[in-house]
Amino acid sequence: MVRRVRKRTRTRVQNTGNDYTFAGEYTDSYGPIPETVEAVKKGLDEIFSCCSDFIMREISCGKDGLTRILVAYINGFVDKRVLNQDVVHPILDFLSNTEPGNSSHIYERLKECIVVNNDIKEANDLQQAVDGIVSGEALIFINGESKALVIGVKAPQGRQVKEPETEISIRGAKEAFVENLLTNTTLIRKRIKNPNLKLEMMQLGKQTKTDVCICYINGIANEQIVNEVRERLKKINIDSILDVGIIEQYISDSRLSLFPTVGNSEKCDKLAGKLLEGRIAIFCDGTPNVLTVPYLFIESIQNTDDYYDHAYFATFIRLLRFMALLLSNMLPGMYVALVSFHQTVIPFKLMITLAASRQGIPFSPFVEALLMIIVFELMREAGVRMPKPMGQALSIVGAIVLGEASVAAGIASNLMVIIVAITAICSFVVPPLVRATMLIRFVILVAANILGFLGISFVVVAVFAHLCRLRSFGIPYMAPFSPITSSDLKDSLVVVPIWAMVTRPKILRQEYAQGPKGTERQGGNEQQ
Amino acid sequence: MKCGNSKKIIFVIMAALLPVFPVLLAGCWNNRDLTEINIVAGIGLERTEEGKILLTIQVVEPGAIQSSSDKGKSGGQQQKPVFVESSEGETVFEAVRGLLSVIDKKLFFSTAQVLILGERLSQEGIEEAMDFFHRDHEFDYEMNILVAKGATPKEILEIESDIDSIPAVYINSTVENTVSRGTVKKTMLINLIKDMGGNEKQLAVGQISKAGEKSVRTEGTAVFRDGKLAGWLDPYETRGYLFAVDEIESAIINVHTDNGKIAMEIIRSKGKINVAFENGEPSALNIKVKVEANVGEYQGKGKLEASEDLDVLRGLLEDEIKKEIRMAVEKVQEEYHSDIFGFGTYVRKYHPKYWKKSGNNWLAIFSELPVDIQVDAKIMRTGIVKSPVN
Repeated sequence: MVRRVRKRTRTRVQNTGNDYTFAGEYTDSYGPIPETVEAVKKGLDEIFSCCSDFIMREISCGKDGLTRILVAYINGFVDKRVLNQDVVHPILDFLSNTEPGNSSHIYERLKECIVVNNDIKEANDLQQAVDGIVSGEALIFINGESKALVIGVKAPQGRQVKEPETEISIRGAKEAFVENLLTNTTLIRKRIKNPNLKLEMMQLGKQTKTDVCICYINGIANEQIVNEVRERLKKINIDSILDVGIIEQYISDSRLSLFPTVGNSEKCDKLAGKLLEGRIAIFCDGTPNVLTVPYLFIESIQNTDDYYDHAYFATFIRLLRFMALLLSNMLPGMYVALVSFHQTVIPFKLMITLAASRQGIPFSPFVEALLMIIVFELMREAGVRMPKPMGQALSIVGAIVLGEASVAAGIASNLMVIIVAITAICSFVVPPLVRATMLIRFVILVAANILGFLGISFVVVAVFAHLCRLRSFGIPYMAPFSPITSSDLKDSLVVVPIWAMVTRPKILRQEYAQGPKGTERQGGNEQQ
Repeated sequence: MKCGNSKKIIFVIMAALLPVFPVLLAGCWNNRDLTEINIVAGIGLERTEEGKILLTIQVVEPGAIQSSSDKGKSGGQQQKPVFVESSEGETVFEAVRGLLSVIDKKLFFSTAQVLILGERLSQEGIEEAMDFFHRDHEFDYEMNILVAKGATPKEILEIESDIDSIPAVYINSTVENTVSRGTVKKTMLINLIKDMGGNEKQLAVGQISKAGEKSVRTEGTAVFRDGKLAGWLDPYETRGYLFAVDEIESAIINVHTDNGKIAMEIIRSKGKINVAFENGEPSALNIKVKVEANVGEYQGKGKLEASEDLDVLRGLLEDEIKKEIRMAVEKVQEEYHSDIFGFGTYVRKYHPKYWKKSGNNWLAIFSELPVDIQVDAKIMRTGIVKSPVN
């Protein structure tokens, strides 16, 4: 999509033959602000040609109507009532009581006391003015000045804060992030009332100029990782950032890996927890998901509910999730290996059941498994994309037609349907790894069909080797297991009660492994 | 950058080659579907009158078993859950391959539950025929081995049991049951392999016979001498034998007193055998058995209140067990001249010099030695009541 946008831009540039150049270096400069209202008007008109939502109004005011002011903004983007009440009205009031003449005096007065709104910036050249306008601010220009006021009167937009749709939890906050960046940062600030919560704003995307915000807690987050995040974000050089997922792909350590090395969440309490552990969040305007780095393997089986409930249950559920992860990867492969290679290890009675269920199936177990898994993946994808009211139809088709009928028709065995069902259920237990699991499952299936258990073990060894090699922002992906970090094991497969979990993840405080040599080790001190 | 790339390429090639090696290494691997094999449940081995091997197999039809579990649905003709086929051959392997021209799919032997040896084969010697079962990798070492008495293995495998749809499974379960009664010697393939060939311990294999049209009885023991069937032990002698070789799990022993009959339940038993030596020559066979028993039933009017009563009972129980052991020992000494107890193993282990000298002659020496049997019984509980209710 990015490429398409870029292409379109290029054609537009060529057609209109505009004076700003695009090729290679895209220069964003429109020069200084001209000193007369007419010139400014002309300039803005040119820049915003064919922009029907751009509104510009010239007001002649003052006692004799000699002071001319230009108000420019984008319709719908700013809150007009606020603009009128807090900006235009006070200015008109003030000017009607002032003597005309010294306009710089007027400018200072306006800036310092007349305009009620607090969010006032100064634009020193046309570029800053335009940037302000396109990001929803109102421009006030006074005739005779070489500067203009940019006033933040952005109308609250987007949907309300709602319950999360993808990360469901039983206990804990029900607030999820929305598309609006400021709403999102406020949600975090609400939870961490501390000036050490730093929010560094930057704009990415040459065309979209998307606001991106790095969020971390000063003193808890590893300074080296924060720097690395900054560096990596700065290096992103593309036209558009429409979703945080695009950033994710650019900043991942291992861009070709199947496994996610950048986490994302839409739950505020989860994100607050991650920040307090020393992780760094990346907000992106227009996306209800927030990235967290570094992201380790163990995080995919962690859930906020684990910390709100008793440690016994949390431990049990963790182990269950881990088992589900293994099962969803390996179950179809194991089944195929068992029935086509290692019949010897099947107990006699089970063997008869297996053989009976396989009787009359024209396909080999491998083909059968492949068919059923692909059918399931199709149904899953359809279920995700389908409009909600049609979901019921899909479940009927899935459950009855594909499950029952394929068995009745003798295309798949009962057992295979059960296996695919278990695999599917298990894969949903660990949502962050659903995609990786989906592909590894096929690899294991193929390996099982070629070499049986031996093949499965080869794939598993390869995957584990890869996982141990993987790093997320310099932090070993498999920590705390590899390297073994004893103090972090308390929140791994076994969860200790929250009152015993007194230290922050130590691995996040370690020296950034790929950072510049000779840098001071950031204090590995833990929470007191 | 370039260097890194070439390294990467080498790594990828190595990784791609890695799975190729095991393919070369794996000597015996094949991808075969469950629907492409015949699941063998039981094997029978007999020698024909012409001296050939007669192999009988019992093969499970999984589909029939599945459909028999939801009866009523299929009103039509019921498929038999198993089929039995036989084949002759000079060797066992030839007979196995000969079966392939009779049946449709490859035979899968790992699931075989029982191996039934025919009487004629046993009398002429089983060691040659067993070689195939040791050599082939597919047989389950825990497969039960039985010797058929009064019927050919084929007849036994062809019974249509009402109890379990697969006769081999039924036979296997009866063996397990009888083991808990202590009246059958349970021999698995692995035991047979261990004891075969040497002359320090002779083979003893469980016995199977037909109890009716549709049932079998697994009781008693077949005694071998040098791999050839020498004779049989009845269930009581078998129990005596098992007491001595410490293979009793539990047993019921009836004790007759003046006041009635008492059934004693053996709950724990420990048997030990050794050979006493005098002047470098074996002088006696010692059998020591320690048992713990409960009173299970008392048919009569006696008293079981005082400890003296229990002492008397204990003495009677010891005598009863002693009698059974003596029966077994005397029978194998006098009739079969076969050391199924493994006294020879003891001698070889603790008196290797003597064994080297006269090990070859051991069976003759064994048959002449006097036997000393000691039984030490303990009565643990008498159940809920003490004396019988009058």
